[in-house]
Amino acid sequence: MSQQQHHARELPTDIEHIPIVWRYELLKYLRSRRLVASVAIAALVIVLIFVIPPATGNPYSGTDKAVNLFVSGPQGIFTPSLQLPGNAGIINRSVVVVSSLEVFQDGVREQGANWTFSSTGGNIILFTHNTTGHTYTATYRWHETSESFASGFIGFANLLIVICATFFGADAIVSEYQARTGYLIFPNPIRRASLYMGKFAASMTAGIVVIAIFYAVVGTLSLVSVSGLDKNFLMSFAFALEYLLAVMAVAYLISTLMKGTTGATVLTFFLFIMILPIIDGVVSVSRIKPSWSLTFSAGTISNILTSPYPSDTITDYGRGFMFPSYYPDPAISSIVMLAYALVAVGLSMVLFRRKQMTG
Amino acid sequence: MAMIELENLTKNFGPIKAVDSLSLSVDEGTTVGFLGPNGAGKTTTIKILTDLLSATSGRAMLQGINVLTDPKKALKNVGAVVETPEFYPYLTPIETLAYLGRIRGMHTHEINDRTSEVIRQVKLEQWTTTRIGKFSKGMKQRLAIAQALLHEPDILILDEPTSGLDPRGMVEVREIIKELKKQKYTIFMSSHLLGEVQEVCDKAALIDHGKLLIYDTLETLGSLIKVLNLEVTVLGDVGDSVLSKVRAFANVKEVERVTSNTFIVSLEGGPEERADLLAQIISTGVKVTGFTTVGVPLESLYMDLVKDSR
Repeated sequence: MSQQQHHARELPTDIEHIPIVWRYELLKYLRSRRLVASVAIAALVIVLIFVIPPATGNPYSGTDKAVNLFVSGPQGIFTPSLQLPGNAGIINRSVVVVSSLEVFQDGVREQGANWTFSSTGGNIILFTHNTTGHTYTATYRWHETSESFASGFIGFANLLIVICATFFGADAIVSEYQARTGYLIFPNPIRRASLYMGKFAASMTAGIVVIAIFYAVVGTLSLVSVSGLDKNFLMSFAFALEYLLAVMAVAYLISTLMKGTTGATVLTFFLFIMILPIIDGVVSVSRIKPSWSLTFSAGTISNILTSPYPSDTITDYGRGFMFPSYYPDPAISSIVMLAYALVAVGLSMVLFRRKQMTG
Repeated sequence: MAMIELENLTKNFGPIKAVDSLSLSVDEGTTVGFLGPNGAGKTTTIKILTDLLSATSGRAMLQGINVLTDPKKALKNVGAVVETPEFYPYLTPIETLAYLGRIRGMHTHEINDRTSEVIRQVKLEQWTTTRIGKFSKGMKQRLAIAQALLHEPDILILDEPTSGLDPRGMVEVREIIKELKKQKYTIFMSSHLLGEVQEVCDKAALIDHGKLLIYDTLETLGSLIKVLNLEVTVLGDVGDSVLSKVRAFANVKEVERVTSNTFIVSLEGGPEERADLLAQIISTGVKVTGFTTVGVPLESLYMDLVKDSR
């Protein structure tokens, strides 16, 4: 036995142990096909949202040809104080590509000098002459706003994040006990804290990969389909990552508390998909804003795309029935998510260190 | 220097004392068998030594470092196989050993060299790149031994190392342990198999109800053995009258017929009493063709001590 060699060997520090664990845990997610499955779910969501609305007659962009313009006097459209040169026609689309706009009077193309286009307060063609007695049509390319396009996809980010936490976090700790792999790994010179951090880093990496792919594809589609990206798109991505951190931390806490992988997996998924949203709903109906709730705070991920940011409202349905609509404050949401992440990580690390291999 | 030292080690599971003030010391280069019936506290003790369980009180020292307070440092030069561990099914043996080697601070070239060596030692050469998910229990047990040896530890802690192996596998593992013993490893192994302990170990510790009943060298323990089972084979059939006569001989505790020409005598005493018994049996007129001890000598001591403790 080469005793000299192994006595001279230095153990990695606690920090150095983290990437070692991270690497092999990540390999688990790759080889167990969980990562591939998560990406496939993300891809399926994108494909469905991208394909179904156009297939059912609601495309994200297109070309309208010879569309009749509703033409009326400007006073019907604008406030009386506005001084407008003539009559106006409305184009009922979100965004009109001005360079493609052609206007026809009784089928004959109108000179550009006879009209101007304005997107203030709607898409409006202002005519410089009297339009009475003529039929006006327009041909143009149009698309949805980048905000509306992205919102349709990003609304599913929460679900994807919960799926990631379920796949990559829910059984990360409990499986070491139930599958008895702890008998292999725990008798090694590595602190449980390093093992935990390596595992958590791997779970987060896998989750970030899935969410980043989702946002990257949605962003690319937005650029291609609606010629732009919502100004708060990256902010939404940042909130999504913060929510992933918090949900993953809670999933790890559940994993340290539970005795079986099935229980931990089911509880993690239904906690975020059903239980907590129900609590949020009940609390909201009681006219208490659940700002402290993690799932309520997650609403920021999609709300941040809405401009202006929605504000709380209480709708009166009569007979004393008032229904409140609360929206999480972005700053408070960020603090709440971070607090959940820190508390859950701290608590689960302590529990993991104390958890014993009794089975 | 004591490589393993337990000092008043106690582990309670609620009202049950799984380990009760256990004190034990294992010297460098010694192979110690840790014996006891089911639920005696063997695995609990080993789990405490390997940081799988905490202790209620006492100390568990590995090379002078308390594993209860500084497990990372204490386990640095320890290789362990506890129960039959499961492996990460998505990794191959080579990847598993690389993972554990890195955790133990081994360099890549060192991991490669030692991996080939230990894989050959446990005869898994053909399976190095197969994912462990496809392995049988026996193959996993071999791999478990391989990972325990990978970093050339000073101390080997083995919990029933031949459990789950077929007879050939058991012999091979025993041969590995004997080889390690020659290389002066300090080995602490629990086992249900008294013959295994007798074959492999220098010393044996017997516990029951978490308490140490006896701990000594196998020679000393052998001298304490009071009753031996001797199988006697005679030419032709042995009659009941002969068996009755044998029962009446001095120091004979029990006589049991096995076949028409074979019977087993439980005899209290040492070599002199054995010689006297043989002479007395021959004096009855039967022609003795076989006279050998059967079973594991340690077994009778084990049974006596466990019976007394219960």
